[in-house]
Amino acid sequence: MRGVKSAKWVVGAIVVAMAATACGGNNNDSGGKGGATFRLGITEPVAIDPVNSQESEGGLVTHNLFTGLYRVNTDGTLKPMLATSGTANDKGDEWTFEIKKDTKFSNGEPVNAEAFIRGWTRAVAKSSASDVAYHMNEIDGFKDLNSGKSDKFSGLSAAGEYTLKVKLSKPDFEFNKRTAHSVFSPVPKVAGAGDNKSFNDAPIGNGPFKMEGSWQHNQKITLVRNDDYGLDKAKIDKVEISILNPSSSVTLEYKGFESGQFDWARMPTPQMPVAKAKYEPQKEWLKYDSSGINYVQAFNTESPMNSADARKAISYAIDREQIAKGVFQGLYEPATALLPPTFKDVYKPDVCSSCMKQDKDKAKQYAEKAGLKPGDTLDFGYNTGAGHEEWVQAVAKQIEDVLGLKVKLNGLPFKEALAKQQEKGAKGIWRSAWSADYPTADNFLSPLLSTDGINPDANGKALGDNRGRYSNPKFDEMLVKARETKDAGERAKIYNEAEKLAVDEDQALIPLWKRSQYRLANTKKFDGLEINFQEEPNLAEISPK
Amino acid sequence: MGKYVIRRIGQMVIVLFGATLILFACLFVLPGDPVGSLGGDKARDPAVVQELRERYGLDKPLVEQYGNYVTNLVKGDLGEDYTQRRQVTEVLGPKLQNTAKLALAAIVLDVVIGMLAGLIAALFRYSFWDVLVTLLTTLAIGFPSFVIGSIFQSQFAVKLGWFPLISDGSFNSLIMPAVTLAIIDAALVARLMRGTMLEVLRADYVKTAVAKGLPRRTVLFKHVLRNSVIPVVTYIGISFGGLLGGALITEAIFNWDGIGFALVTAIQQQNNPIIVGVVTYGVAVFVVLNLLVDLLYAMLDPRIRLS
Repeated sequence: MRGVKSAKWVVGAIVVAMAATACGGNNNDSGGKGGATFRLGITEPVAIDPVNSQESEGGLVTHNLFTGLYRVNTDGTLKPMLATSGTANDKGDEWTFEIKKDTKFSNGEPVNAEAFIRGWTRAVAKSSASDVAYHMNEIDGFKDLNSGKSDKFSGLSAAGEYTLKVKLSKPDFEFNKRTAHSVFSPVPKVAGAGDNKSFNDAPIGNGPFKMEGSWQHNQKITLVRNDDYGLDKAKIDKVEISILNPSSSVTLEYKGFESGQFDWARMPTPQMPVAKAKYEPQKEWLKYDSSGINYVQAFNTESPMNSADARKAISYAIDREQIAKGVFQGLYEPATALLPPTFKDVYKPDVCSSCMKQDKDKAKQYAEKAGLKPGDTLDFGYNTGAGHEEWVQAVAKQIEDVLGLKVKLNGLPFKEALAKQQEKGAKGIWRSAWSADYPTADNFLSPLLSTDGINPDANGKALGDNRGRYSNPKFDEMLVKARETKDAGERAKIYNEAEKLAVDEDQALIPLWKRSQYRLANTKKFDGLEINFQEEPNLAEISPK
Repeated sequence: MGKYVIRRIGQMVIVLFGATLILFACLFVLPGDPVGSLGGDKARDPAVVQELRERYGLDKPLVEQYGNYVTNLVKGDLGEDYTQRRQVTEVLGPKLQNTAKLALAAIVLDVVIGMLAGLIAALFRYSFWDVLVTLLTTLAIGFPSFVIGSIFQSQFAVKLGWFPLISDGSFNSLIMPAVTLAIIDAALVARLMRGTMLEVLRADYVKTAVAKGLPRRTVLFKHVLRNSVIPVVTYIGISFGGLLGGALITEAIFNWDGIGFALVTAIQQQNNPIIVGVVTYGVAVFVVLNLLVDLLYAMLDPRIRLS
């Protein structure tokens, strides 16, 4: 091969390179001004179609595209949306919902009982493999539909165009609260099956907003006001959602807010005190004690955590106040119960007596009773890469100082961490957190602490969320009784007793901190901004100034 | 020559299949169930896990899984990703384009700035310009890209608002990440260029060329430049390959939706189809670039024979 004129070759390459980089270089000024456009950032959601919309990111979109029977107010009470009434029979295993008449999807299809049945059936169908379908597992016929034995949801029926009847396989007087979850959304006929890709990326809903174009993956999602919305119409024109890289998203949100490119932002934890000092006086700093809990689960069936005394020893040894002030710089508050304060009707503070205050003497007494000796090893697992390192180490240090135990920290990436916790012989303690799907005590107590919540497979792997494997028949009975109790006050009482039994007497797990959420919000441009139950901005209610 | 290229391409195919096989075996032995959870603390509904295991053939033995994968790969089907359940080709397509755009822009800046600076420094050795180049390159090499990137971002995007904070793939949003990537590499290219130029300038054949009265320009371009550019080409080839494999930190800072971050996320989520797709692509890019660099050598230096 002979040499080509090399200079020519290089120049050629540069020209090609320039041409390649220049393509797609249109430079439109997206959404700069105008008080009626709300701009914020999220990370790439798993799904925005209600069939599988699950984390906060996808939820933000789904909740604004679809309106179901109910919504949850910030204090945990229900707000009727399309349900004009919802009543259970005396046994609590059959619900009748009257649906608001004459509302439409944004493509003109009617929103009636059929639309709800369609949406719920679509979510549970086997081929959808939906991660959120299990919220419907109380409804008759769930198993058959979910396993592919049937393609009908036998528990659902329409008694008249706008009357939805729901049969449950066991009584639940709080079923209506479940329907606030977005998986209970109605869908139009065009939705098709759960894996209909075009609907997955551009869902047609009945919510206060509708999609403008399709979901541009990893780039943006744009919503515009639905002017045919059947309830109170939104007052802002447009919502521009930028999709951000998950490793830098909170930093970008914060910088975006500071430079005026976002109207709403989360912040990196270390920056929070600075942001608070700057934005709180300007009333642009929002706080919401939301419906979640940070806790430590203890493996109840394996030594050394196989006695309530041992678990109490650990709980008493932790100085929650100090870590909340130190590591969390006062942004987190100690939790003294498992249920969150947003569940107004059932929340009782100070359920967990060992959580109230660090008590070194009591910790040592309980340790002695449990046979925990200084020098014994305690495994403490957590998932890495989520910012838990610092406080996990602080807790470990306190346990070591007070009880003289050797705490073995075991940080793993989350998939491995999950597999490890599910193992039959898992022992020690593990960092955990829980957030509400809907505002019922059952949504905390049942998955985390009931015997059904363990759900072991053939090899004894715990597939449920009760990975600490706490099991107390008395507690299980109380939960069943509570679900069957019609009177809300009576029911709350039973839940309080159940929580007391599991979290105080048996100390099945160890509550640490409440879940507090902080946001920066452009209250100079928008009126009425707040963090709602789902920890999102209440886009449908705000108005431009 | 033609034979050589064909042989290299044949080798490439073998390397690619080898890479997918090794990867598959590695991913298979990783602890944790790839469809066992989506992240966070919640375990997935066992019915969903079961359905997904069946759908993606994860319940089959490794050999069968690999067989299916290769059969589909030949048809251009890389499978479906485990989280969003979209086609891998559809997920990776835009990311590959973005990565290629960024890599090309960076490498062009690299070559132009780096070679020019090196050339000037070598020709005017120990002059003000030479010292300046040495100083600047030392600085550039010393600063990690996340520092440079963050400074650019807070100055030009947040304070001055010249460039968008959140990249949207447009030309305007390409500039900051490209410059960030190019700076360190350009410094290395400049130093390499300066070093080899100085060496070549001292070579006998250059002295001969000067002695026989060739014009300075001819000596420089025909003899010096051409001979000193070979190590630089090698370096640029490697560096370009690296850039095409994605630029993790720069992508994260500027929200550039490229391949680097896709791989990291996929590894965290054990999203195997994406991992295999990205790594296979990375191997292919490296093999192709190596081939191109080898061919370029032969073009630049006729003494190098490809056989």
